[in-house]
Amino acid sequence: MILLQSHSRFLLQTLLNRVQNLEKGVEFDNHWVEFDDVRYHIQVSLKNPHILLLSVSLPTPPPEAIFFGGLPSGAIEAIKAAYGVIVQILDPPRDGFNLTLKLNLSKLPPDEGYKHALLVKIASIRETVLGAPLRVILKQLAARTAASNMDRRFAIVHRPNESFFLVPQVGKMMVMFPMRFKDSIDIVLATSFLQEFVEARRTAGLNNAPSCMWSPSPPLELKGAPAETLSANAGFVTFVIYPRHVEGKKLDRTVWSLSTFHTYVSYHVKCSEGFMHTRMRRRVESLIQALDRAKPELEKSKKTVLSRSFKRMSLKEGRINSDS
Amino acid sequence: MANTLRLYLTCIRNTLEAAMCLQNFPCQEVERHNKPEVELKTSPELLLNPVLICRNEAEKCLIETSINSLRISLKVKQADELENILTKKFLRFLSMRAEAFQVLRRKPVQGYDISFLITNYHYEDMQKHKLIDFIVQFMEDIEKEISELKMSVNTRGRLVATEFLKQFI
Amino acid sequence: MDPATSRPAVVIDNGTGYTKMGFAGNVEPCFIAPTVVAINESFLNQSRTSSKANWQAQHSAGVMADLDFFIGDEALARSRSSSTYNLSYPIRNGQVDNWDAMERFWQQCIFNYLRCDPEDHYFLLTESPLTAPESREYTGEIMFETFNVPGLYIAVNSVLALAAGYTTSKCEMTGVVVDVGDGATHVVPVADGYVIGSSIKSIPIAGKDVTLFVQQLMRERGENVPPEDSFEVARKVKETYCYTCSDIVKEFNKHDKEPAKYIKQWRGIKPKTGAPYSCDIGYERFLGPEVFFSPEIYSSKFNTPLPEVIDKCIQSAPIDTRRALYKNIVLSGGSTMFKDFHRRLQRDLKKIVDARVLASEARLGGEVKSQPVEVNVVSHPIQRFAVWFGGSVLASTPEFFAACHTKAEYEEYGAGICRTNPVFKGMY
Repeated sequence: MILLQSHSRFLLQTLLNRVQNLEKGVEFDNHWVEFDDVRYHIQVSLKNPHILLLSVSLPTPPPEAIFFGGLPSGAIEAIKAAYGVIVQILDPPRDGFNLTLKLNLSKLPPDEGYKHALLVKIASIRETVLGAPLRVILKQLAARTAASNMDRRFAIVHRPNESFFLVPQVGKMMVMFPMRFKDSIDIVLATSFLQEFVEARRTAGLNNAPSCMWSPSPPLELKGAPAETLSANAGFVTFVIYPRHVEGKKLDRTVWSLSTFHTYVSYHVKCSEGFMHTRMRRRVESLIQALDRAKPELEKSKKTVLSRSFKRMSLKEGRINSDS
Repeated sequence: MANTLRLYLTCIRNTLEAAMCLQNFPCQEVERHNKPEVELKTSPELLLNPVLICRNEAEKCLIETSINSLRISLKVKQADELENILTKKFLRFLSMRAEAFQVLRRKPVQGYDISFLITNYHYEDMQKHKLIDFIVQFMEDIEKEISELKMSVNTRGRLVATEFLKQFI
Repeated sequence: MDPATSRPAVVIDNGTGYTKMGFAGNVEPCFIAPTVVAINESFLNQSRTSSKANWQAQHSAGVMADLDFFIGDEALARSRSSSTYNLSYPIRNGQVDNWDAMERFWQQCIFNYLRCDPEDHYFLLTESPLTAPESREYTGEIMFETFNVPGLYIAVNSVLALAAGYTTSKCEMTGVVVDVGDGATHVVPVADGYVIGSSIKSIPIAGKDVTLFVQQLMRERGENVPPEDSFEVARKVKETYCYTCSDIVKEFNKHDKEPAKYIKQWRGIKPKTGAPYSCDIGYERFLGPEVFFSPEIYSSKFNTPLPEVIDKCIQSAPIDTRRALYKNIVLSGGSTMFKDFHRRLQRDLKKIVDARVLASEARLGGEVKSQPVEVNVVSHPIQRFAVWFGGSVLASTPEFFAACHTKAEYEEYGAGICRTNPVFKGMY
């Protein structure tokens, strides 16, 4: 797996299971956590097998990106637009969660293709909700109506207490990520990966991709931001997004890629550490083989019953007997 | 660059050929015990002068010999932060498997990155020149592996970036 | 305040056949996937001596190709459909055999299935009772160095299975765990939370053998099941229709007298033609699970029935633990879910125990009468993943986090800390 999927695998599996066994009543209560501290809780009760209660908790936003009304801006509209009548937002949400949805599975469209696509979209609730503010701003870029927001800095939360920044400019959008990692080895590996982004962009095939820059110190556009947001142990990555990256179908993918950029880098850092282990294991094997070659050829004793009693004592056994 | 490596390794090899003359020597202090004298360093008459071979300030090799054991400590070059962590990771990996290597010491000597301890038992079990071959090959392999790991990190970074940026096209 | 302790721990139970993974505090695991990895082997066979011109291309293919693999059901599907993927079973007989495959398996479990950030959660992994301590060191190395987990606890699966029985019985940390999995069956006595290693008994008959036996019976009778599907069909038949009888001979008679009541129909679709077919399920319904009680009907190499093995195991345990062990025999593993399995096991075992007590009383001439030995086989609805459930229960107790080994300890002392995992207060 190279790219992160936008839907939650367990949520999709649960939804598909329920849809296939709609009439069978079952008690189901499960909670799980996804990367970036997004928590889910799902509940089905015996009495109403068509109704599914889904609660989502979002990462705690830092002070510059707090949610007004408990949810990111534009989230409620995005939910209504994506899911229609199947989903009803419950107010207030369940204790400890930002959002509780009541899903009525009997209202799913009958066509198998549409049904599956809608279930996948429900399983991507995280992208819909967390990515809503980013989507709103990028839509303005696509429609080229961002003039009113020129040079204003937007902060969007993507990890607990951390956010990334958007600064609209004429005909383009600057997206800046301060990259922070906890583990010291991760920091070094991630820094080398991020520096490669600049190199990779230079290859001919990626001319149409957003241009990217990396610098160890905060870029100029972030001047004036609060100091805590400007500390980053793996440097700052800046992408320049153009309208062609956000028109039509590409908008969803761009929103997801940018929202999960940090997790993507972190995932690949860990995969490459795993790959290093594979290489190191192979190297250890070859070295041990070299060491075995240093041992003299073992006497080829015939494995017959007779010769066993005449096994010549090796030096080691002689030593063991003398060193009592 | 490769030339100095060759010279360095040849020098180490020659020193080992001379230094590796180990014989069984029961402990003088404690009855019926047999300890590697180079680790204890309690009896100066059993120890030979240690030899330090430096390739440059960053890389050196310390060879300490005693009558029944030989200790080789290496300090490996670490040019930048990335090489530093890769070296640490790789050597920690090897040290954990020290038992499989028999001649490897579980913890490196203070001030060095990795250490070998060869006792007279190893010397008796294995042929001398093949053992020296192994040590020298080990050192070459460490250097090769670190540089290959570094290259793989860079290549992987390039691929990760390419896959990410491809999504926007 | 470590934020990781406020989040539920991740519980992963790696078995030889299936891996159960999920979060602590839940009743069932999120995913149950077969422990198998399908790797694209092409990157391992990259020749070292390649011309400078295309080393970049080859190297690129090699460096990312290690991410081209699948686990679980996806792996089985991929290997069937394409020949580029080779199946690899990282765990054999409860021990990890292939660490590369295991590391990859965990990588997919964490990032693709559970989709959690390993740096945010404490981990509870399981192992088989007779695992070497080096294996725990290697596990710790992978978890702490590759995934940077904040804390790790490696529990013995039998102890967790005992903990799963808390819902139905008092918190007893002494008992015998009969773990009938897919690959092997183990009878493990546990006293006060510690496994009595020398008394562990294994028998080579497990879930897979029951399936093979059902498949063999159906084939011998000439049922028209398409051959490439016959194992899968046998497995589904086993899971849906098999039950444990109390006496084979009586059961044969029952089947013969009222075939309509006992013989079931299996309906399926031929994969190649898409045509539906149906076949009868008869004697294999009760002969399948009978393999545990009369192994001679299946294999000539192994003859000891399961109740006898359990009895031998308890008799080999220290004498002061035996009564407690008989009182708390816990079943775990999917293959113990046959209807009435526990009742038959309890009845057979009680027969052996009572016979022994009678014999000893006869030897003493009836003067000394011993107290009757209570035999109790505990069964509960979560047997299928009792080990995982036990892990989930334990990882939700507050003492769990203190009992884990932390990353700081690993950095300071090395992987050796993972060798010991103490039994902690939350288990009582």
